[in-house]
Amino acid sequence: MDNLIIEGTRQTPEINFDVESGILKLEGRSIPENTFEFFTPVLNWLDAYVNSSPDKIVAKINLEYFNTSSSKYILEILKKLKVFKVEGTEVLVEWYYEEDDEEMMETGEDYEDVSGLPFEIISFEEE
Amino acid sequence: MNTYEKFRKLMDNHIMLSFKGEITSDIITMVLQIMETRLDSVSEKGNVKKKIFNVLVECMQNLYHHSEAEEPGNVDTRRAMLELFYDNDFYYILTGNYIKNDAIAALRDRIDRVNSLSKEDLRRYYREILDNNIISDKGGADLGMIDMARKSGQKLFYQFHDVNDSLSFFELRVKVAKNKPKLDK
Repeated sequence: MDNLIIEGTRQTPEINFDVESGILKLEGRSIPENTFEFFTPVLNWLDAYVNSSPDKIVAKINLEYFNTSSSKYILEILKKLKVFKVEGTEVLVEWYYEEDDEEMMETGEDYEDVSGLPFEIISFEEE
Repeated sequence: MNTYEKFRKLMDNHIMLSFKGEITSDIITMVLQIMETRLDSVSEKGNVKKKIFNVLVECMQNLYHHSEAEEPGNVDTRRAMLELFYDNDFYYILTGNYIKNDAIAALRDRIDRVNSLSKEDLRRYYREILDNNIISDKGGADLGMIDMARKSGQKLFYQFHDVNDSLSFFELRVKVAKNKPKLDK
């Protein structure tokens, strides 16, 4: 199975999902008008990856902005990760936010609560 | 009003950006690009800039997905307006778009509900909708209004202006508090 690599744009995030290491990176901004188009291949990739039964997955989510239609798909991704967990994979979500971005921190807590997955919420300094 | 007076009015009302027309994908990208630069130049702290940017993204997606055509059936008349301005205390994001009269009641209820909730209740409501709502074909998923209220930390102001038997003009005004400068003693 191939890694999933999608370059970031001004509207869509950079995706780097690595089969071997189980590190799934989602970075940048996600504000496209048509979120369905962007996220469908990402969700499909995760569906296929479940069959590889990785030992461990670390999802590193570091988003500067995302719109509310993307927020549904981010939850969909987390729900897919839950499937891995049920299948015996160790799953961790690392949620990054810029230290003064309280809303992004709270959003991380919201996802932790709604998904029921183990989260680490990590702040970093503004560049 | 002569041109100079028009210019003065734009200056005195602190209008950062004013647009009327169809909100296309290209327009959204362009407006966001312009506003990022403008907000950088007024050197707002990161979080105020982010709040404005977030609200702006949601507002424009609303216009993109929900604007009705002025002339029924003619998609070229899906004209809307967007304006950004500020005063001493707030930045304002003002949008206007046509809406079908029979859609007013539901929208009014939704905004009133959002405005009635405390910060904590708004968060609870957000989690509930995030978890339970299926993704609508327009992708909006009803989270937009909740999100704007949360991000701005302010009540949403709205008004419906009568147009004709089938249409009204929906005005939405979202404000974001400016950073208070620290007073030196």
